[in-house]
Amino acid sequence: MRASRWPLIGTRYLGMSVFALFTVFPFLWALSVGLSADPSGIWHFPGAFIPTDPGLGWFNRVFAEMPFFTYVGNSLILSALTVAGVLALTIPCGYALAQMEFPGRRLLFGAILLTLTLPSEVAILPNFVTISRLGLVDSYVGAVLPNLASAFGVFLMKQSFEQLPAEVIDAARVDGAGEWRVLWRVAVPLNLPAVGTLAIFTLVTAWNDYLWPAVVFYTRTKLPISVGVFNDLTGPFAVSTSLVMAAVVMAVVPVIIGFAFTQRLFLAPQALPARA
Amino acid sequence: MAKPGVHPATAYLFVAPCALVFAVFTVWPMLFNGWLAFQDYFIASRNTAWNDFANFLVLADSQAFQIALRNSMLLLLTVPLIQGGALGLALLVHRPLPGITFFRATYYLPVVITVSIAGIVWQYVFHHEGILNWLLGLVGLMEPGEGVPWLERGGWSLVAVMAFCFWKYVGYYMVLYLVGLASVPRELQEAAMLDGAGTWARFRHVTWPLLAPVAVLCTLLSTIGALKTFQEVLVLTGGEGDTMTPLLFVYRTAFSGFNFGVAGAASLMFTLVCLLVAALQMRLMGRHNPFTRSE
Repeated sequence: MRASRWPLIGTRYLGMSVFALFTVFPFLWALSVGLSADPSGIWHFPGAFIPTDPGLGWFNRVFAEMPFFTYVGNSLILSALTVAGVLALTIPCGYALAQMEFPGRRLLFGAILLTLTLPSEVAILPNFVTISRLGLVDSYVGAVLPNLASAFGVFLMKQSFEQLPAEVIDAARVDGAGEWRVLWRVAVPLNLPAVGTLAIFTLVTAWNDYLWPAVVFYTRTKLPISVGVFNDLTGPFAVSTSLVMAAVVMAVVPVIIGFAFTQRLFLAPQALPARA
Repeated sequence: MAKPGVHPATAYLFVAPCALVFAVFTVWPMLFNGWLAFQDYFIASRNTAWNDFANFLVLADSQAFQIALRNSMLLLLTVPLIQGGALGLALLVHRPLPGITFFRATYYLPVVITVSIAGIVWQYVFHHEGILNWLLGLVGLMEPGEGVPWLERGGWSLVAVMAFCFWKYVGYYMVLYLVGLASVPRELQEAAMLDGAGTWARFRHVTWPLLAPVAVLCTLLSTIGALKTFQEVLVLTGGEGDTMTPLLFVYRTAFSGFNFGVAGAASLMFTLVCLLVAALQMRLMGRHNPFTRSE
């Protein structure tokens, strides 16, 4: 019985490895091309997967010719503002929906649930009109504002605040703490796993957001990685595949590192994260 | 669940900031699109004029919009492929073998990689001298040097978009199936095994009934996802080679054609289609939705 299982497990690992290769081969090739000082072999497979004359020359040129760290800084600013804003708006809202009774509560929650399934992309044109009337085109605030009232965030916060033991909340209320204090001193500390999950999912979504920043910004030095690197690589850099691949590798590395530390949240989700 | 005893005014203060942003940037755009759909919008003067159904007539005559609709039907072909692949992957990695987390994480990686950056790499994979054509030559499907320029030729470029979507999203649904599989009690599996049920019988009669709600949810999410295909096309082909999709049409009409009225009409129609699919989802799933269950 036991001996006969080994071929089965071997087949499993073989299958898993083949699919893992399918997932990463574009980036393995990109890495090899970026590291190859000599670009003549990059279209000759399978040799192209092994760097010829390896060196960091192309990476140095990316740093020299592309404001890479400016893009990284912008991505950080936009992501941090989005995470802070989403938490600041959705925590009180979700808490009120979960722990308070007020007219219009069901209507508000129903409207928020409904928009979870609607295509947010059709809002880009109306939001661009709104943002330009507010004079916020080409500003960080304008890039972040439309993403703050996250339907997923409100939903997750409401569901998780409902799980808190009622006695704890009531005890704090009886002690005379105002609702605002109860929320931040009692409820949020008890609900940190859900808040952390929301923060990470929001961070990933904001970091990867491509379309809206591409629409709202026109100053190159304000662009996040997702837009800045894409514009450069499909524009001035496109002449050199080696340069493109070096830049691609640099753009992907921060995501891989961040993901490596937080993969548990994505692989065993307590709530459904957004698809992209 | 909600507690009485807190004054509604307090509750309104708590929800107001979020509700305000939600109203301005989520609800208002839908109303605005609905209004735009029946207007001529003159960008320079910001004047508008009611034009009845003229925008919809423009849509009906537009070849690009018809291609977009056709493509969004064709893109639905990715739904069974992605679901089959995701379920297969989940079954492959749901046993806790050594190193399994590494494999799961690797399969999920494309989901968290920026679509624009992933799109660039895949442009080069689809290059006529690229990896894909080399592989096809290797397995004998293609004469060496006769590579298809995947992204430039009508017909093939949509296939390329489909392949990219499969690569990008299969890991996402794999995780949902893994969550579903984790809910299948081990004792049931073991009992079936003791009864002499084979692998297929166990899957068919024990695992599948418990996994079916997850499969329905995934299929609907993936259907909406396929209908919404847009950024994937934007970064791969920019809409060349007959890869127009409804949302790309909206985007191009608004920001390249500056025809806000027609863009609004297309947005309105597309939103209604998504509402229909969402209603179907609610109907089919009801309270059995495994991810929106409140205890």
